[in-house]
Amino acid sequence: MTLDPDEYTVGELRDELDAVDDLETVQSVLEAEQTGQNRKTAREVIERRLEVLGEDAGTETDDETEGEYEETRKDVGEDAEGEEVETESESDETTEAVEEANVEEEADEAEAGDESDEAEAEEESDEAEAEEKEDDGLSHPTRDKKHIRALQGGTYRDMWVFCETQQGELLDVSKEMLGKARELMDDYAEEYEEEDVVAFLMGDDCQGLAEEAIAYGADVAVYHEDDRLERFLHTPFTRITAHMARGQGSEESTDWRDYDEPRYALYPATNNGRDLSALVQGELDSGLASDCSDLFIEPEKISNPVKTGEPGVKKTFERVLHMKRPDFSGFEYSTILCLDNPDRDFHPQGASVIPGTFDVPEPDYDREGLVVEHEMDLEDEWFSVEITEHDTLEGGVDLTGHDVVVCLGRGISDDPTLGMELGLELADAFEDAALGITRGIVTSSYQFEGHVEQYSKEERQIGETGQIVAPPLYIAAGVSGAVQHKVGMDESDTIVAINTDPEATIRDFSDYFIEGDLFDVLPRLTEAVKSGELPMEAAADGGEAE
Amino acid sequence: MRSIVLTKGVPDFSEGAVSFDEDGHLERGKTPTVMNPNDYFALQAALQTKVRHGGHVTGMSMGPPSYASVLEEAMGSVYADDSILLSDRELAASDTWATAITLSAGVEKYQEEIADVDLVFAGFKTADGETGHTGPQTTWCLDWPIVTHVLALDIDPDEGMLRAKRLVEGDVDEIETVEAPLPCVVIADPEFEPTYRKAAHRLEHKRLRAETQERVVDHEEQLRTWNHQDLNLDPDYIGLDGSPTIVSSVDPIPKAPSEREATMVDPGDDDGMGQVVEELQPFATGD
Repeated sequence: MTLDPDEYTVGELRDELDAVDDLETVQSVLEAEQTGQNRKTAREVIERRLEVLGEDAGTETDDETEGEYEETRKDVGEDAEGEEVETESESDETTEAVEEANVEEEADEAEAGDESDEAEAEEESDEAEAEEKEDDGLSHPTRDKKHIRALQGGTYRDMWVFCETQQGELLDVSKEMLGKARELMDDYAEEYEEEDVVAFLMGDDCQGLAEEAIAYGADVAVYHEDDRLERFLHTPFTRITAHMARGQGSEESTDWRDYDEPRYALYPATNNGRDLSALVQGELDSGLASDCSDLFIEPEKISNPVKTGEPGVKKTFERVLHMKRPDFSGFEYSTILCLDNPDRDFHPQGASVIPGTFDVPEPDYDREGLVVEHEMDLEDEWFSVEITEHDTLEGGVDLTGHDVVVCLGRGISDDPTLGMELGLELADAFEDAALGITRGIVTSSYQFEGHVEQYSKEERQIGETGQIVAPPLYIAAGVSGAVQHKVGMDESDTIVAINTDPEATIRDFSDYFIEGDLFDVLPRLTEAVKSGELPMEAAADGGEAE
Repeated sequence: MRSIVLTKGVPDFSEGAVSFDEDGHLERGKTPTVMNPNDYFALQAALQTKVRHGGHVTGMSMGPPSYASVLEEAMGSVYADDSILLSDRELAASDTWATAITLSAGVEKYQEEIADVDLVFAGFKTADGETGHTGPQTTWCLDWPIVTHVLALDIDPDEGMLRAKRLVEGDVDEIETVEAPLPCVVIADPEFEPTYRKAAHRLEHKRLRAETQERVVDHEEQLRTWNHQDLNLDPDYIGLDGSPTIVSSVDPIPKAPSEREATMVDPGDDDGMGQVVEELQPFATGD
């Protein structure tokens, strides 16, 4: 049998080769490809076939014996008893097991169909899956597209953290991610083995920041300095990150590592960080979850046939980064996983992290780590987008980090302007307090007069889609306590609610519930905070007249 | 100027429309599909370009056949000239990367068979996935420049470039002015505001609206549907098969349990109020 690879696209070639069991024939195909078009992707396909024939000569072809799955299989072999995990070699497929797996599959599929980020045509996904995949006679051009540089059977290590900077400093969220990464990889070391937290950053002057990243928990900090990188630019930052991730720098800058790509990658869920995460993960042909509010690493048993390679088989993926995020406009939490397909790796497993989600760790400037300067020539055409001007905006309103937050809700509706003033007066009576509002006020049609109007904007909203605060003291006046609001404040130490309705939901998560009208109660509290004494009830109006 | 606007259908999350089952999971079947609210800003940016410089706007979406209604809605609000739906079941359950590969193939096919494109517009996040990844990843597949979080936009057709203001978030927020060559992908920020300074622009806006109202009646005649074969896409690289990520679980955001035992205080009760004041006092100004 002869086979001229030039006559096939890579996809076709792969299918064609599956029917070839003779090592020498495949070897000759490889040589023909090398002297012909010499496509990298085609060579991979041929080499893969060679490996399969070499290793499993005379046995059934097995597409799933590599990387982490191999470890899984071993694990299964050792602890198979009592486990429902099956690999295809063991799957004598009792009816029961198949049924069970199928049920799970359906559930998974329905979820993937309904909930995945760009879920489409969910009502059709079951149908689509149910059909055996057939060659549809397409020329399979996608694989040759420049933007898919798929890896298969690569080696992966470490958790990489993009340390975004601004005006010469690490963003707080960069430090927060380093702290979380440290924690995750310390646990990882106990569960599996030692792997590093690798900070990476770019800028016009960032060696010092790389050193700082070590203090915040990184083991290695890789940085690229160039005058043109003073501010974030999509293309150069993506090119540099991908270059770093693939270990393509000079030997001096990459000899600390010996793997193909990072195992995990974290980015801040800021405008630029989120963009970079999407671009880099795309360039590395992997996936990611955005705006995560929790991360943990655990094995996960998967029955989705796209990931297991075979319907009815469950497969345990090890070391899976579980990425939990609020979804559907804040109505649900989804846990996203980025998992290898049998014939295409999806690494690094990527996530962007909502700023403020994790604590900023205490820096330890005695911590030792490796600081590496990355080397790479930057091409002029990457700089086609040019920043001609930049200005800092007036500081946005930050309701976090104060001793006290006074929050107003729709209880002010009888006289919104006065209600707002009373709230502000109470806030002013404290050493360090901020005024917040509920979603209800932001979306209301209240007419505010004078200076209080500025306090009615979304920037002061507390709750799921606004700011999340946890002050020592939280005072909620005229707030009913919708669950979306609760999420934004229920970590506060002490919660005082003021509401005329004793059945208001907020009572369930308040420490004190003053059953009364905020127009009476707020002035009395203001007066009491100022004077240290509670004014007589009759004197309530006095506070307001002030 | 020739533009493509990317848009997507999402469940209508507005109060009264959205439906959840008793476990708190979204019931897609009972919740109507609408155009992603953030896409409105991309449409505004495309419309501003069309009003000021003339040209052609095409709405493009990937989704089930029912998304034709979303493209119809888009046509109505951007005064698009026609629509393209990328649709077949091989595309089902794509995550952002598989979606980006598909959308970029749509743009490339458009360029090969219809006309060169100067601008691709997309909104920021979708209301359901909320990732903000698809626009940038589609750009990466196209190998075009990208400007994201655009607040204001000016096109200079003679120079073949655009100037935009964009929002940078960080520990402080910043506004950048950037210049980029065409063709370019523009991701509009939800704060994007179109401007029509000249009277001629406002008249043109009006004229286009009237013209569109007639066209949109026969939306189906302006709608093309391309499947993965039309797009020459390998099924292994699109849809569920081509998606790196899966959703392993979905949990409703928990209902607020009664976690604190509130001490009930009557404002007329000085002892009770005194207790509250004791909690407040330590944070008072000046001691």
